Amino acid sequence: MLHAEAIKAIRFGLFSPEQIKRMSVAKITVPEVYNEDGYPIEGGLLDQRLGVIDPGLVCKTCGAKAKTCPGHFGHIELVRPVIHPEFGKFIYLLLQATCSSCHRLLLDDNEIKEFKELIHKELTREETINDVNITNALSNKVKYIKKCPHCGAVQKKIKFTAPTEFYIENTPLKPNEIKDWLAAIPDDDLKTLGIDPNVTRPEWAILTVLLVPPVNVRPSITLETGERSEDDLTHKLVDIIRTNQRLEQYINAGAAQLIIDDQEALLQYHITTYFNNETAGLPAARQKTGRALKTLAQRLKGKEGIFRYNLIGKRVNFSARTVISVDPYINIDEVGVPREVAERLTLPFYVTEWNIDKAREWVSRKEYPMALDIIVNGQRKRILDTNRDEVLKELKPGDIIERQLVDGDFVLFNRQPSLHRISMMAHRVRVLPGRTFRVNDITTLPYNADFDGDEMNLHVPQSLEAIAEAKYLMHEAKQIFSPRDGRPIIALFEDQIGSAYILSLPTTKLKKEEAEYLLGLSGVYELPDEVDGAYLGRDIFSLLFPKDFTFETDDIKIRKGRLIEGKLTKKTLESIYKALGAKYGFEVLQDFLFKAGKLTTAFLTLYGITVGVNDYMLDEKKEKAREEIISEALTKAKELYEKYKAQELQPLPGSTLKETYEKMLISILVDARSKAENFIKSNYDISNHAYLMAISGGRGSEVNLSQISFFLGQQLTLSGTRLKRGYYSKRILPFTEPFNTSDIIDKGFVTTNFYRGLSLRDMFSHAAGSRDSEIEKSLVTARSGYMNRRLNNALQDYYVYPDLSVRDHDNFLIETIYGGDGIDPTKVELLKYIKKE
Amino acid sequence: MDDEFKVAHGEAVGTVAAQSISEPSTQQVLRSFHFAGLGSALVTTGLPRIIELVDAKKEPSTPLTTIYLLPGYKDNVDKANAVLKKLDSVKVSDVALRIVESFDKNILRVVLSKNKLKLYELTPLKVAERIEKVFKLKTAVKENKIIIKTKKIGIREMRLLSTRIMKLLIRGIENSGKAQLNIAPNGELYIIIYGNNLEEYMKIEGVDTRRIYCNDPFAVYRTFGIEAARNTILKELKLTMDNLGISLSPRHLMLLVDAMTSRGIIMGVGRHGLVGAKKSVLARAAYEETVKHLTKAAAIGEVDPIKGVTESGIVGKQISLGTGSIKLAVKNINKSE
Repeated sequence: MLHAEAIKAIRFGLFSPEQIKRMSVAKITVPEVYNEDGYPIEGGLLDQRLGVIDPGLVCKTCGAKAKTCPGHFGHIELVRPVIHPEFGKFIYLLLQATCSSCHRLLLDDNEIKEFKELIHKELTREETINDVNITNALSNKVKYIKKCPHCGAVQKKIKFTAPTEFYIENTPLKPNEIKDWLAAIPDDDLKTLGIDPNVTRPEWAILTVLLVPPVNVRPSITLETGERSEDDLTHKLVDIIRTNQRLEQYINAGAAQLIIDDQEALLQYHITTYFNNETAGLPAARQKTGRALKTLAQRLKGKEGIFRYNLIGKRVNFSARTVISVDPYINIDEVGVPREVAERLTLPFYVTEWNIDKAREWVSRKEYPMALDIIVNGQRKRILDTNRDEVLKELKPGDIIERQLVDGDFVLFNRQPSLHRISMMAHRVRVLPGRTFRVNDITTLPYNADFDGDEMNLHVPQSLEAIAEAKYLMHEAKQIFSPRDGRPIIALFEDQIGSAYILSLPTTKLKKEEAEYLLGLSGVYELPDEVDGAYLGRDIFSLLFPKDFTFETDDIKIRKGRLIEGKLTKKTLESIYKALGAKYGFEVLQDFLFKAGKLTTAFLTLYGITVGVNDYMLDEKKEKAREEIISEALTKAKELYEKYKAQELQPLPGSTLKETYEKMLISILVDARSKAENFIKSNYDISNHAYLMAISGGRGSEVNLSQISFFLGQQLTLSGTRLKRGYYSKRILPFTEPFNTSDIIDKGFVTTNFYRGLSLRDMFSHAAGSRDSEIEKSLVTARSGYMNRRLNNALQDYYVYPDLSVRDHDNFLIETIYGGDGIDPTKVELLKYIKKE
Repeated sequence: MDDEFKVAHGEAVGTVAAQSISEPSTQQVLRSFHFAGLGSALVTTGLPRIIELVDAKKEPSTPLTTIYLLPGYKDNVDKANAVLKKLDSVKVSDVALRIVESFDKNILRVVLSKNKLKLYELTPLKVAERIEKVFKLKTAVKENKIIIKTKKIGIREMRLLSTRIMKLLIRGIENSGKAQLNIAPNGELYIIIYGNNLEEYMKIEGVDTRRIYCNDPFAVYRTFGIEAARNTILKELKLTMDNLGISLSPRHLMLLVDAMTSRGIIMGVGRHGLVGAKKSVLARAAYEETVKHLTKAAAIGEVDPIKGVTESGIVGKQISLGTGSIKLAVKNINKSE
């Protein structure tokens, strides 16, 4: 079999009629497919010389069975030449560019030289030829040439009606005339145009012989009723043969020219739609049901076409897919694999002199984990109870055993959409009971997974190279820092951060039993020093640090593995990860994350973070503050309005008076909510757990609190203005007062809150913004998906050359040094922490 | 610097860059709001802006130029205003209340607003002169009205003429819109103008030609060349990303921008740009316009060298990036039997 690595290049070209006949194994002449006995007719479209698809039959050309026969081409001899529709433009260009009498290129020697260079540039893509291509450059030039520079003949105007009709001075040009014309163009002139005459002669774009694809390209299916249903291509080919036959009959019978012309046009139509059933200007050929036929071009094109569906993306073996669920007690680089999956997926075990004992052990096992198959000299054999002893006896170095998946094997784990490279990482297998994949909760972040029914895919790398790459390049522990911005992407999150925050407070003290419970669960088997008969939360957390870990920033102080000052928040934790990663490497950091995840989660079972109505209810003092903030904003707004009306307002540079008023008003109204947020900041403490989550960085912010308890604030449109669209009378809603330009509330300043509910007009104001962003979201997803595809396609060939420059596979230089410094984006942030030392 | 921190040889940095740029844009809600970023200027931001830049659209939706002034101008409001007056374009429609067409008498009447005239320091006569000069038509001024005598023309032509008159520039610079004066935090005066006619702006006295900044890469390319254009795209992309709150290492944007400009012209990422410039027939066919690329390749006998990622994937060859960029040779040690 041809090995892909042996392919140096692929040359595209046209088949000459002779080539087609040479490669054809059968001349197809019969429009019928089966005879009365339901057997394929010889010379029909399912001729057994074209290959077989039924399992029992043998190919008459190669003698192979359905699975191994590659299929063979046949041919149809067309009575009259027909134009290949996809080359219409190309033919048109050549007809325009060559002399109608001597068929030389309509360019003089100098122009030819010039043109050759241009073509060379385009073909080698040495220089950017953005909008220049041969077609444009040549047709622009040739349009104005009236006289052949070689023989002096006056040129007639060629007209082209897509897809296949040509006229010279309004008389139709027949395909065989075109064929003769194109055939007379000398090779040298074709070379000038960048056409390689050894591979392609333009007259081959006029078909005299039609290639018939093998049957396995267009398999027929047998319905339950026993009825056979043919592929669209077969249908189309039947039409072509029929029309071709009839045309022959007409010609032989000496029918009227009109009838022959009609039949020729019909043949042309069938061949055009056979190649492309979406040809502009032609009605699509249809099935009896009215569905348009899927012919050659449709098979290749688009997302579901051969290129994107079957060639770029391929289906794979050795993979599994199921629902995911949480398990905080398996390591973050592990994946819990159901026994059922582990029993079916296999890994090759290469038997050598050194591991033959282990191999025997695998083969002799009768239950999981055992060997399933053995490959001896390329022959695969199932290992069954009946032949196990025999296999065992004959086992020798060079054999390959396929064994079941066991704990510790490296597998690739993936969740779609695979938006970035950390959507697929290598995990260690942990075979567990149950039917779902088990994932550590921290690991959900790079995959963007949750457990509301998400499914994930698992792939088992088979070759040693692939396993090594999984282990050393794709391993979860190596992906903790995102290549996007160098920040940790696998990290404590949400209530784990809240939990860490509480633990790090100096007031958090735990009893001995509690400390033992937490640490034991986290896999730490020592206790910190006692302080006043209790254990400090921060000391317990500190045990997760390496003993010599010293790290200081403005926010946090860790000395000799002990947290001395500062609180653990999202921000400080992030700096700790970076410092750990920089100093001790990813394995230590991974261990830290795993243990910290378990510790913080376990601590929540003792402490508990929860919110209740009380957290959002306002007491008298707070209610007063709320009212003050609102009334202050309203008075200020009113004052501004008075000023504006009295024309006392000083316009901002570049703005009219009205714009200035709007701007200043918006800033007053928007400011009101930040006042509420500031009030929350100075009057709330962590006994309010919503606030705790906000300040620790776990989830939410003061904005959420203020919107629930205080008021929603000014609602703005997407363009940053107040709501303004509405009625002629300048009002937003029909029940408000008309022509009231000072109405603050009507234009989206919401003074009610979620806790007590929104008033009707506030609800409308709020919904206007929500609706805008909802519409925006639906548009953005489609647009960004396409941008994603374009960016990927444009940049995918660029890689780092050994001298740290960025090039493509042709050595075309993009950047002299990657990123200006040659630093790995996943390690940029770590570098900062190394320098600090 | 430690070798440990350098990028690995063969690293597919192109793909990493593409993913890093596009991943957050699918995750977050990229609101396409126009923000009042510079003074009160409205500029396209968000995903539409990113797409516009990455596509290398020849005409951005909001071309905007920031014009800094030379010493002597940047701290003097009157002098700065004088520059502004030269830049700011005033159209007939800016000062006209309405235009009235009399088809029977072949007369156009432009009614001007007194306030607006005062605002722009214009007189009806000046406007009339301008119309007379450009359209070569007789005009007469009557208080606030300009009466234009046209030739005998049809309704259609009349309408066309009246819209053209309304769009007529009385003063200012072609292809530019409103200009406005702003004050930077350091007290410096600068001008923002809708438009990208850099060459014309730079001719005006008092304009600091060394600091002028335009957000349209093509305008920058035309006046300052490819390096400046590269920096402009980079700066604009970075600005947009920052505004969206997306944290992104600048190296990804740099790679994209370098790829877009490395051939000496600005190329977008689509089928007419970087992808279209690929040598491989298969890669182009797999991307877009499959049939077109295949037939063209067949017509001229093109050769696909099968070196890139897409083509290698199609034929099943090892991809020449990453670990595939390294070839190992095994020294054959004869085992003594």
